Amino acid sequence: MARATTRSQKPRASQSQPQPSQTQRSQKNRAHEEEEDEDDDQEDQDEDEERNMDVDDDEDGDQNGKNELDRAAYALVRLAMFTEHKRTPLRRDEISKKVLGSNTRAFPRVFASAQGILRNTLGMELVELRSRAELDRDAAGPGGTQNQDDLEEARKATGVRKKAAAAGSKTYILRSILHERLIEEAALTHDEILEEEAADALSDDDDDDESGGITAYGSIISWSSADHVGALGVLYVILALILVSGRVMGDQDLRATLKTLRIPATGTIAFAPTATHRTLSLDQYLSLLVKQGFLDHRQARKAGTRGKRARVQAADDDGQTTYEWRWGARAHSEVGEKAVGAFVAEFMVQEESLPGGEGGEEDAGAEGAAAGRAKASKRKADAASRLEKMAKGIERAAGGQLADVM
Amino acid sequence: MSTVNAKDVQRLFLQAVLSRGVLSGKLAQALWAKAKDAVMAVDNNLDISHSGTREEWEAFVIKVNQALDPLDLEFRHLQEETTGREMYAIVNRKGDEVAQMATDYTPTEIAFFKALVDQIMSAPRESFSLSSLAALREVSVLKKSNMTKTQAEVVLSSFVAKGWLQKSKRGRYSLSTRALLELQPYLKSTFPDEVIECVICFEIMTKGIACTGPNCQVRMHYHCFTKYTARNRKCPTCNCDWPGNDPHTMTPVGESAARDGDDGRRRIRKSVENSDDEEEEDEQADEPSQPRTQQSRKNKTKAAQTQSMDVDEDESEGEESDTPAKTQGTRRSSRRG
Repeated sequence: MARATTRSQKPRASQSQPQPSQTQRSQKNRAHEEEEDEDDDQEDQDEDEERNMDVDDDEDGDQNGKNELDRAAYALVRLAMFTEHKRTPLRRDEISKKVLGSNTRAFPRVFASAQGILRNTLGMELVELRSRAELDRDAAGPGGTQNQDDLEEARKATGVRKKAAAAGSKTYILRSILHERLIEEAALTHDEILEEEAADALSDDDDDDESGGITAYGSIISWSSADHVGALGVLYVILALILVSGRVMGDQDLRATLKTLRIPATGTIAFAPTATHRTLSLDQYLSLLVKQGFLDHRQARKAGTRGKRARVQAADDDGQTTYEWRWGARAHSEVGEKAVGAFVAEFMVQEESLPGGEGGEEDAGAEGAAAGRAKASKRKADAASRLEKMAKGIERAAGGQLADVM
Repeated sequence: MSTVNAKDVQRLFLQAVLSRGVLSGKLAQALWAKAKDAVMAVDNNLDISHSGTREEWEAFVIKVNQALDPLDLEFRHLQEETTGREMYAIVNRKGDEVAQMATDYTPTEIAFFKALVDQIMSAPRESFSLSSLAALREVSVLKKSNMTKTQAEVVLSSFVAKGWLQKSKRGRYSLSTRALLELQPYLKSTFPDEVIECVICFEIMTKGIACTGPNCQVRMHYHCFTKYTARNRKCPTCNCDWPGNDPHTMTPVGESAARDGDDGRRRIRKSVENSDDEEEEDEQADEPSQPRTQQSRKNKTKAAQTQSMDVDEDESEGEESDTPAKTQGTRRSSRRG
C-alpha cells in the first residue's frame, strides 16, 4: 500500500513518543474537530497521563480515554494487517512503540478492542504464537521432572528469561476466523470468477513477453496472488517430513530427503513474479522460513550430554555439532499438525490408488477396462479405511497425538 | 467458528479483495455474488438476496467503506486510463509510520520505486513513461544501494506483477491504475506542476489526449474523449475544431508522446521550492529541445507537436535504441484509441 506517501511525512510519530498528545495529533492527518478538543484537554494532563488513563475508563462522562483507546485500537489493526502482509510475526514491543506510545499499560484494553474490530470487520483475529518453551513443554508431554529440567535447559540455551517464557512469546499473527467450511468454499473454482479474472489479466498487462505471471484459479480468495504457492508447497512438504520423523528431523536427514525429492543443496525454490527475487537457494529459503516462524532450527542434543543442550557459541568449532529442524511457532498456529497429517494421509492414499503407483500392487497388470472399473470402485470403498489407517500410522510416526492449530 | 451469518459475506469479500490488490469492478461484483453463495452454502437457512443491480452494488460499497473508514482505508475505484474499465482497490489513506511497512519491499526497493515515479512524472512532452533502459539506470543513481541491474530487473517485474507499474509492448513503464489509486495524494503534493487532470472526469491523468489548439490546457482520458466527441466536435475551452472522434488525430498524452531520445539522459528534478524559471533554465541548458515545466511545454511545444507527431512516429520506428524492437503495428496499437 501507499509506500511512497509515507516518505513525505517522515519526521512524525516516532519522535514524539514521550508526549502522547503530540503523538496523537501528528498521527491525525485529517484533523477531526471533536478530536481537536480532546487534544487540548490532554495537553493539560500530560504529566499524570498514566494515572488519568486508568481513571478515564471509570468515568463514563469523559470521552478522552475512550477516544484514545479507539485510536490506538484502530492503529493496532492497521499495524497487524500490514505486518501480516510481510508474513512476519508482530512483536509486542512493536505494538508498544508504534501504537501505544507511553501508554504501555493500556495494552490489554487496546488489544481487546482491536480484536473486536478485526473479528467484526475483517473476520480475522490476532493469535499469540507459542513460545519455544511452551512448545517444548507440549512436546515433552504430560508430567515428568526430567522434562522440567529439559525446559530449564532450553530456556538457558535460548536466552529466554523464565518469566517471559511463562508469559508466552509476545508475538502475534493474524488468522482468519471465518467458518472452516466457508474457507473451503472460498477455495473452490467458480467459473464466473475465473472468467472475470481472465478478462482482468488480459488488458491489465500490455506486455505479453513477461506477463504470464500468476495463475488465477477462480477462487473467492485468491491464494495464488496473495502467496507464493510453489514455495508454500515446498514448506508443507518439509513440515510433513518433520512431522512423520517424530517432530524432529536432523539437518542431514532433511537435506538428504529433499535431495531425493529433487531439491539438492544447490537447488532453488521458484517464486511468483510478485516477489523481488525469482528464486531463492534452498538455504536462503530455509532461513526465510525460520525468520517467518514456520521452522525452528537449533542445535541438536548431544548423545554424550544427555538431557543437556550444549552452548551454541562454544560448540561451533566442534565438528560434532549437529542441527535439527522442528516446526516453528507459526506452523503450529497457522497450519496445525492435524492438517498436515491429513495432507500426508490423503496424498499417500491417493498415491496408492493411482494406476501404476508405487503402492498399487493390485493394478500391476490392468487387463480389461471393465475389470479396471470394478477395481476402481473397490478402491474407493477401501479409501476411507485406508485413510484412517494411514492417519494412525502418521500419528505413530509423529510420536503422539497430533495437535490442532494452537 | 461455530456459525456463519450474513455479515460473513462482507468479511469474506474483504478477504477476497485483500488477497488480490487491484481488481476490476466486474470481478469485484462476481466475488460479492459468490461470497453470498458461499455463506448460503454453509448455512442453508440463510437467505441472502442478490439482485446484482448497480444500486445494490453501490450500497454495498458504501457499507464496506463505512467499515474501513476508521481504519483509514478505502475501497476506492478509478477508471483504467487505457480501457476506461472500472478498477477497484483497497487503498491506504494515511501516510503514517505504520504504513511504511505496508509493503514487503525493502527501503532500497521503495527508493527505487520513488525514483521511477519521479522520472515517469517528469518525462518530457507529457509522455508519463520511461524506457526500460532508463528505468534500470535509476538503480545506479540510488544512494546506499548495492542492487545490481539483474536484481533491479526482477524488482521491476515485481512492481509490474503487483500492479504498481505498467509495462507496455514497447517496453516502457508507466503508472498503473493501482499506483494512481493509491498514490494520488503523493503525486499531487510532490509533482504539483506535472500532474494533469482530465477536464471531463477531473481525475488524475497520465494517458489520453490533449487539445490540438495552441496553448490549450484541455486534456482528456481516451474514454472521456470518446464520450465527449460523441456529441461535440469542438474543444470545450478554446473552442477550436477537432478533427473527429479518433483519438489518434489528437496530441497524445502518455507513452505515444515519447520519443526515443527522451530518456537519453536522466532528468534531475529540482526540489519543489525552486522556482519554475530556475528550473527551466537548467533544463534548457541540458536539453534545449525538451523544456519540461508545464508552462513551457505547453507554450512552445504544442504547435510543433501537432505537426511533428506523424514524423515522430516514423522517426522512432527506425532507431529503437533503447526499447526492444517491435513491429510497427504494435506502436500504433499501443495507443489503444
